[in-house]
Order: sequence, then structure tokens, then C-alpha cells
Amino acid sequence: MIPACPLAALPRGEAHRLDIDPPVAVFHTEDGEIYAIDDTCTHQDASLSDGWLEGCQIECPLHSSRFDLRTGEVDSPPAKLPVRTHGVVVEDGMIYVVPSGAPPNLPPGVTAGRPRSDS
Amino acid sequence: MTSSLLATLSGHLYTDEDVFALEQRQIFESMWFCVARADDLAGPGAFRTVQVGRESVIVSRAKDGATRAFLNVCRHRGARLCTEESGQVRRAFQCAYHAWTYDLDGKLIAAPNLTKMPDIDRVEHGLVKVHVREWIGYVWVCLADEPPSFEEDVLGAVVTRLGDLASIENYGIEDLKVGRRIVYDVKANWKLIVENFMECYHCATIHPELTEVLPEFADGYAAQYFVGHGAAFGSGIQGFTVDGSPGVDRIPTVAEEQDRRYYAITIRPQVFVNLVPDHAIVHRMFPLAADRTIVECDWLFLPEVVESGRDIGPSVELFHKVNVQDFDACERCQPAMSSRAYARGGVLVPSEHHIAGFHDWVLERLGLPR
Repeated sequence: MIPACPLAALPRGEAHRLDIDPPVAVFHTEDGEIYAIDDTCTHQDASLSDGWLEGCQIECPLHSSRFDLRTGEVDSPPAKLPVRTHGVVVEDGMIYVVPSGAPPNLPPGVTAGRPRSDS
Repeated sequence: MTSSLLATLSGHLYTDEDVFALEQRQIFESMWFCVARADDLAGPGAFRTVQVGRESVIVSRAKDGATRAFLNVCRHRGARLCTEESGQVRRAFQCAYHAWTYDLDGKLIAAPNLTKMPDIDRVEHGLVKVHVREWIGYVWVCLADEPPSFEEDVLGAVVTRLGDLASIENYGIEDLKVGRRIVYDVKANWKLIVENFMECYHCATIHPELTEVLPEFADGYAAQYFVGHGAAFGSGIQGFTVDGSPGVDRIPTVAEEQDRRYYAITIRPQVFVNLVPDHAIVHRMFPLAADRTIVECDWLFLPEVVESGRDIGPSVELFHKVNVQDFDACERCQPAMSSRAYARGGVLVPSEHHIAGFHDWVLERLGLPR
């Protein structure tokens, strides 16, 4: 479990970006649910925590593909692959992320676990 | 020169692109400039793009309902951000080149690889803000770092003409609605349009309908020659309409002494306001080149008049005719500005002498000798 942020620090409708590798976005929906997904859009290197949260969907701020926070599925191009979803635990007012064991679907040019090789 | 005549500006001041460039810097980009009706920006994300001096400016409504204005330039590589004259964005302005994305307050909120560049300050690299004011239901912007006093420059112009501010406040222009807007593309220098608006020596010749409604205009002395003077409607005239017909509902807060009178105000550098008992007419000029000016003219009436679909046609038609007659006259002058015959300019007759004050003001702003 990775501590993300205190629940009190994440109002409904807001996102918190967890700067791990690869980064994770934690969302607090207007309905009071907490979800965690990979923060990077699968189409291009954009931070989904900067996107637009509506219900259980987060819209990428750059090209408007929308990801379902519950499943990671994407609704329409330009993104084609889903983002990973992560487990969330809230304990003693603290939000924790339980990272997925699946390989991430990162966009071209973004790699996890090692320094980026520029070409 | 005889005492009856004063000199105008010389012809090249109306044609020279260097002079126009100086005017863009020293006048349009330095003063308060009226750009849009506040109602044009209907809700958050609504925007208009307007030309102010050399700059394209985005005027928009933010999430909190306030009006904002920004230079229409992406801070990344300089692409024009909004290319349409008006529109509505849902939540953000996004550059069509590299997708740099700005919220309605101008802050940079997203860009490809932005999180890889944590040293980028999202406010510092946000859109360049422009000063904004709202007055009489219009949005005014100022591109100067330190804007001049709105009270002195804009409100002061009204006081100079009408004697006090109450005289314009009586018309409640901020609560009126635009019943008609007509945009004129005038192939003439903006100063010719200002000069034309300031004098009435031409009225009896080119404005037969207006002179019928305001007979005193036949003597050539415009409402703008005097302080606080409104030109009286003719005895058989029932309203400020193309045929003297009654017009529409009178604005109830207009004072008794303002009834059956016409007032005109020039707010330098680019606004003209006309006041009659049942409507207001507001002109905004957008000078685009030494020989081209866009004029956007609004006819404003009581909201119930506009919403009920009452016939405002005869009211609009009167000043629309005046506009067309005036702009034709300005376009008739423009080609002659470069003639040898006008190299040292022309002359102002006594009923036009107050225009010399406008000329002195222009020259002073530009730092040019008389």
C-alpha cells in the first residue's frame, strides 16, 4: 500500500497526482467515491489528474478521450487502450493506493521503471 | 489663414501606415477601448475576439461570471489561440497547434509532457491578461500595463459633453437590450469618422431624414458643439424615427428636460453614444488600417420592447440611414487624403472649430508637432 494523501485534503470533484513511477491519479467523485488509475493518458503524455471529472469518467485535458474510473476503459479515440485501475484503501482518514500488478499502457515515448531514452 | 478658418490635419496623417502604427501604440493600445456588449458573453466560456491596435484580444466570461480579457496568443510558440470572431468553449481554451490548454482564468492547465516539466509555472506561462472594466453594459479593455484613469478618460468625456454623469445614467443603458446590431466595413481612416460624428455642417446636405427630425441641425451646429445641449425634436415629430412616427416605449428614468431631445457623445478614441428618449445608439470603431475601420453599431431599447417583438424598424432605420450617409462621405474623403490638393490639409469653418481640439489631442498623443 502506498500512502497517497489525507482524505480531508481531497475534496469531491478533485484529483491528486501521486508522483510514483508510473504516476497514479486518485479521484474523489462528486458522489463521494475514491478511485485510482494510471495518471498518464494512453494516447499522449498528458496528466489525467489535470482533466475534467464528470461522474465516474475522467476526460483527458488534451484530446478529450474519456476513461472510466471503475474499469479504466476508454470511450473514444484518440486513446485506444485502457488505463490500469488500482485498488484504494481509506484507513484512519488516509488514502492508500494498492498498485495493480498488470503492465501499464503508457503512450509512446513514456516508459516506466527506467530512465526515458530520448531519440 | 482668415479668422473664420482653422487648419485641419494634413492629408498624410490619414493615409500613412507609419502614422497608423503610431496611433495603434499611442492611442488604441494605451487607452480604454470598448470591445463588446457584456450580453454578447452569455455564460462561462463564451468569448469574442476583437482587434485592439495591433493585438487580437480574447474577451470571455469566466466560471465566476466575471469578464476576462487575454491577448489571443499561445504562450508556447505563438499560435493564434481563437480563430473565430465569437464562440463558446466548454471549459478551456486549447491551442490547435500543440494542445497547450488554458482555463477560463488564463492559467495553463495542461500540455503534452507538462508533468515532465515540473519547473513550468502554470500562471507565469498562462495567457497574458488585459485590464477589463464594465460600464453601461459594455466591456472595455486596456492593453497598457498601467491603464489611465477610467473615471477621467471615459466618464470624464461624458461629463465634458453632458455636464454631469446623471444625464447618461438616466438612460440606464446597462439595463437596455440590443434590439439591432449592424456592422459597417468603412474604407476610411478612423479620424475621418470621428470628425464626421463631431460636426453637423454636413447635416442639411447629406442627412435629410435626420434634419427633418432635428430641424436645428440645419444651422450646422451639432449637439457636440455645446455642453449639455440636446437637439430638440421638430414640432410635428413624435419620435426619433425615420418618418417622425412615435417610436417605442420611453425609458421611464429619462428626465423631463431630456424628453424630445437628442444627445451625442464622443468617447475618445473609438466610441460614440447617442441618446434619445426611447433608445440609445452605441457605436464602437475597430480601426484595422489607415484606410479601413470596422464600425459595430448597437441600437438598445427597454428589454420589454425587444422581448415583445415591437417594431423597432423605423427607429433603427433613421440612424442606419445616417450611418450609411456618413460612412459614404468618409469614404468619399479617404482617396483624396493622398492628393496633392490636400497635402497641407483642408479647413474648418466656425461650426467645425471644436474639431481642432480633437486634432490637437491626436497630435499630442502621437508626439507630433502642430
